[in-house]
Amino acid sequence: MKERLKRQSFLGSQSDRILGDCAVTIVGLGGGGSHIAQQLTHLGVTKFLLIDPDRVEESNLNRLVGATAEDATQKTQKTLTASRLMRGINPRVHADCLDGKWQEFHQFLRGSDIVFGCLDTYRDRYELEITARRYLVPYIDIGMDVNEVEGGFSVSGQVILSMPGCLCMRCLGFLRDDLLAREVENYGAAGGRPQVVWANGALASAAVAVFTQLFTPWHGDHRASVYLEYDGNNQTVTTSNRLLHMRASSVPTSCTSRISVTRFGFQKTLEKRLPGFCKPASGAKAVSLH
Amino acid sequence: MRVAFKITRTLLGHVFDDLNRPHPFAAERVGFLSCRVGELKPSGWIVLAYDFHQVADGDYLRDRTVGAMIGPAAIRKAMQIALSDEVCMFHVHVHGHCGQPSFSGVDLRETAKFVPDFWHVRPHLVHGAIVLSLDSAAGLCWHPQYSKPFQFSDLSTVGAPMSVVRSVE
Repeated sequence: MKERLKRQSFLGSQSDRILGDCAVTIVGLGGGGSHIAQQLTHLGVTKFLLIDPDRVEESNLNRLVGATAEDATQKTQKTLTASRLMRGINPRVHADCLDGKWQEFHQFLRGSDIVFGCLDTYRDRYELEITARRYLVPYIDIGMDVNEVEGGFSVSGQVILSMPGCLCMRCLGFLRDDLLAREVENYGAAGGRPQVVWANGALASAAVAVFTQLFTPWHGDHRASVYLEYDGNNQTVTTSNRLLHMRASSVPTSCTSRISVTRFGFQKTLEKRLPGFCKPASGAKAVSLH
Repeated sequence: MRVAFKITRTLLGHVFDDLNRPHPFAAERVGFLSCRVGELKPSGWIVLAYDFHQVADGDYLRDRTVGAMIGPAAIRKAMQIALSDEVCMFHVHVHGHCGQPSFSGVDLRETAKFVPDFWHVRPHLVHGAIVLSLDSAAGLCWHPQYSKPFQFSDLSTVGAPMSVVRSVE
């Protein structure tokens, strides 16, 4: 094990190879994505695909990890800021930067082992999740929002793992048609795209933990579906009641339920098909309700 | 040429469940995975396992040289799936050991015989064969424009936990 990774040896004797081989795509290198890029690099991930069309602006400096005042002046591409930060941590990092909307480069996602989505809109999330699941790529979504409530503001956010064949963001109730429709008129009640560094950091850390548990599980509780809710006013991250409810009852989902037992390094699976209201991803046959 | 193969952990469980069933006379079972294929940038393909199709007990034939093998009915049924569903077909079987499996001489000989049959019904798609061990896998795919098969370079089991095996580049 490499000297720099010795303090995380509990992740397994092969963890440095697994993480070093893992091909990670980060879509959106803003407040959330820049945190994730930094943490994954510290963790030992070296293969990245970074996608973001935006350049650094003055208003980004309240949260954009790795960005400098000079970047805002020069209007540096956000992908470039992130890759510079990452190579500073680990010169072995190879980051392919695509400076445009992810939809222009969707075919590049196919080769990824996992996609992080750090996007602003429900519509983008919806489309990215579909694209990832279509190619059997797990998708981790993070996002935060600030809404005006009586007496102040409510800071909230979410981390969702959308595993192909398992619960999708529609199943979990995070994406709904009415939200997609209302998005444009309601988004950012506390000002245009409200973002703060501590909430981004908390959400990014939780997302990186979900990733790490998926690829180098340090205990036996394998979770194929994750929906964490961040309460920024009380500084808590908890499993969403929606997911807990779906685990506890046979709520109709898009796919099926699954009970799995590890065997031969793979999992023996018993399935119970449930009534569905949305189509499973290509190649997907079951849903995990851990 | 990079060839990445992905299968969900759930589907892989189905494959093992079926192939581990005893057969009246065949020492090992085989099956077919229907797959969809996409291009990988800058070059290569991604093979996505989509469904598993078992071979019926009656479609195995006794064979003096290898004990048992699948008969023409099994191949015909698999070809029908390739035709009807517009999918690539991969023959799959298990070698009951841990570690990296490899195709036997018989595997290679027989696979090279029947893969071209799938081009009769789906001439523009890749088809091939996969051998699973208890904790790893190997695969070969034939493309109609190339005379020799390509080995799978990446093998991913998609689920919790994730498993990605890459061959040395």
